[in-house]
Amino acid sequence: MAKAPRLDNHPQVITANHLATGDVVYLTRVASWSRDIGEATVAPNVQAGAALLAVAQAQAKMNIVIDPYLIPVDTSVSPPRPIQFRERIRAQGPTTAGRTSDAAREDRHVSV
Amino acid sequence: MPLLKQGHVVEDIWVKVEDGGYLPDDRPALISHARWEAERDTLQKRNAPLGILLPNTADILVFGPEAGRFGVIALQFPKFSDGRAYSQARLLRERFGYRGELRATGNVLRDQLLHMHRAGFDAFEIPRDDAAEVFAKALASLSVFYQPTGDGRVTARDLRLRHLLREEAAE
Amino acid sequence: MYQYDQLDQRIVEERVAQFSDQVKRRLSGELSEDEFKPLRLQNGLYLQLHAYMLRVAIPYGTLSSKQLRGLAQIACKYDRGWGHFTTRQNLQFNWIRLEQAPDALADLARVQMHAIQTSGNCIRNTTTDQFAGAAHDEIEDPRVWCEIIRQWSTFHPEFSFLPRKFKIAVTGSPNDRAAVRVHDIGLRMHRNDAGEVGFEVIVGGGLGRTPFIGKTIRDFLPKQDLLSYLEAILRVYNLFGRRDNMFKARIKILVHEIGIEAMREKVEAEFAAIRDSALRLPEETIAQIAAHFAPPPFEALPAGIAPEYAQAFRTDFDFGLWARRNTARHKQPGYAIVTISLKKEGEPPGDASAEQMQAIADIADRYSFGEIRVTHEQNLVLPHVKQADLPEVWRALKAYELATPNVGLASDIIACPGLDYCALANARSIPLAQQIARRFRNWERAHDIGELKIKISGCINACGHHHVGHIGILGVDKAGEEFYQLTLGGSADDSAALGDILGPALNQARTVDAIDTLVETYLQLRRGNERFLDTYRRVGLQPFKEAIYAAA
Repeated sequence: MAKAPRLDNHPQVITANHLATGDVVYLTRVASWSRDIGEATVAPNVQAGAALLAVAQAQAKMNIVIDPYLIPVDTSVSPPRPIQFRERIRAQGPTTAGRTSDAAREDRHVSV
Repeated sequence: MPLLKQGHVVEDIWVKVEDGGYLPDDRPALISHARWEAERDTLQKRNAPLGILLPNTADILVFGPEAGRFGVIALQFPKFSDGRAYSQARLLRERFGYRGELRATGNVLRDQLLHMHRAGFDAFEIPRDDAAEVFAKALASLSVFYQPTGDGRVTARDLRLRHLLREEAAE
Repeated sequence: MYQYDQLDQRIVEERVAQFSDQVKRRLSGELSEDEFKPLRLQNGLYLQLHAYMLRVAIPYGTLSSKQLRGLAQIACKYDRGWGHFTTRQNLQFNWIRLEQAPDALADLARVQMHAIQTSGNCIRNTTTDQFAGAAHDEIEDPRVWCEIIRQWSTFHPEFSFLPRKFKIAVTGSPNDRAAVRVHDIGLRMHRNDAGEVGFEVIVGGGLGRTPFIGKTIRDFLPKQDLLSYLEAILRVYNLFGRRDNMFKARIKILVHEIGIEAMREKVEAEFAAIRDSALRLPEETIAQIAAHFAPPPFEALPAGIAPEYAQAFRTDFDFGLWARRNTARHKQPGYAIVTISLKKEGEPPGDASAEQMQAIADIADRYSFGEIRVTHEQNLVLPHVKQADLPEVWRALKAYELATPNVGLASDIIACPGLDYCALANARSIPLAQQIARRFRNWERAHDIGELKIKISGCINACGHHHVGHIGILGVDKAGEEFYQLTLGGSADDSAALGDILGPALNQARTVDAIDTLVETYLQLRRGNERFLDTYRRVGLQPFKEAIYAAA
């Protein structure tokens, strides 16, 4: 149940969940999807972002991903860092400590 | 719109008439609840069969005594997630003994057909070519029923009681 | 406990086949996400922040050791080796793939489990007292009725598309450990003047955005009329519950808007019409179900305290600490109820690894007739342990870090998954819970403070039940930062009450400090044996409010 994030003049990337696996994915330069935000294609502004979103929504209609949306990122670092806390958690995994949390962060899925 | 009735796709003999539209007096016609309420006196004298489309906010406890006048009662699912018509259907069948055609209209999807059938619907406006096939599949998808409705299916409870009685008889 | 017959088994298997077909049709695109989502939800599969989450139903919180092992295997095979026990006695797996979900459900079906109706606008898992069938203060075992309700509510054709979710809870004891007054329907078993056991029926309780304590719609309902009455309530709700606004769609809003008298009138009228229908429960049916809940073959032991237990209590300080908090009185002489704390310092509250689940299953087989319970405070229970076995059980649990002696204490925190996992959350709950728990790691201090129920919700949906915490904490989003609002004096038992808001929300660091301050304030003000809640009820909000906000 994604809330539409605040879009301002920050650079944007598209994120979604992969339909079959549920993985958090980002739209890449070649219009495929990667779990690595470093491979995401970055739109310089909101207008270019809208065009990317259209591409992503077409992919959603093809049942590859669910509910794509734009998120603002900080591109002064590499890989790009989501501005919103919730999106940083989506990118990096749960922040919690403990045995079960360590297991949670383990990279298990192969890239899409 | 294909009409799925008792498992087969049939031609819909009922003509839908808009409020204020011409009401043919020689063929089965389906009118709105509002029209029935407004023109009840004239319509009561009608010879040809009459059907009615009820909104899912209609109070069946009030409407129920009149249900028998109608050859078809069409209920509505404005969105498939709006489940009021299931209760309306059960009340019509089980409280008021309605025996005519009970039709599901609106957002009627394959995955709700079994629930609808159990609630008493026997006709479905479902826009797909394979309506009969998916209907048969839907009805075959579950064979155990925990709770009684008016559909006549034997419940798990009754099967267990029968089994118990057989066991007791055998002892 | 209940064993499936071939009818129950067939139903879960057919459901797996049905959902498997639906998944195929979704992946092929024949079903859109809009069409698929309610179907997916009614099979317990949510899309969360990181992945799909599968919520497995644990009917009325009762598990066999075989089922717990089954869950452990599923955790390893399809997930990341652990699961999370919830405030509704269910289990959540956080990393399930949609394409594997049908296989996971098939594995569940093999151990008589499922994820049916753990989400969606339908009747959810009916919950109860985790001590059912064991508690010394019990009138009758409520699980018989929970199972009857479970069957009646499963795939109910009329009530699968309600205005909103629907939650029922049952208590068989006057000490309500099932929080019946904050459920859509609460059922409280009690005796009438003629000595017959029946139900007080309570409707319209609930937490979330607009919390309410439920109102009594009927004082005494005879047992055989249970399903007719429930059907009447659900039918009225299905027809009249609001559908224009999802935040006003629960039955508590309907009861609030039309009033309990009008609600009662509608329900009683419907009930009168269907009372003697096929829903009326025959004696034989009740007996058939009840037979599954007959007590296990207890040994005939002398009353009083078993010498092995007394000895260990006297000589082993750590054992004594644990026994004092984590055991409860059993109705059967010589037995005890053990609560397994899943609140070890440094671990997320309510989580258990597959390894721990296997260990608990083994311990249950050896010491508790193979039976385990889930509490709605995110711990587990071994319901039937011989007192003489308690020292060994403690050692066995300790080996798997399952013997933290903190049940009901400040570090026994209830926390929803929060923003670390949940797409609905405003703030994180688990790190906050862990930081607070660390403040209470000194056992002497923790025991001195005594019973203190801290409950944390990451958002207004209140899955952490913060409204009924002695201290409740609600995560809010203030300009993109995590803030927490505190409430005091909530309670989920027979003296059910909603917490009072303490003041403006605080950031995470100040929240942790505030908990300390609140506890210190209590310790200064308390008289005699008062728990935190008792002191609060006596002195009110003011002293606590001043302690937190005046200094600022």
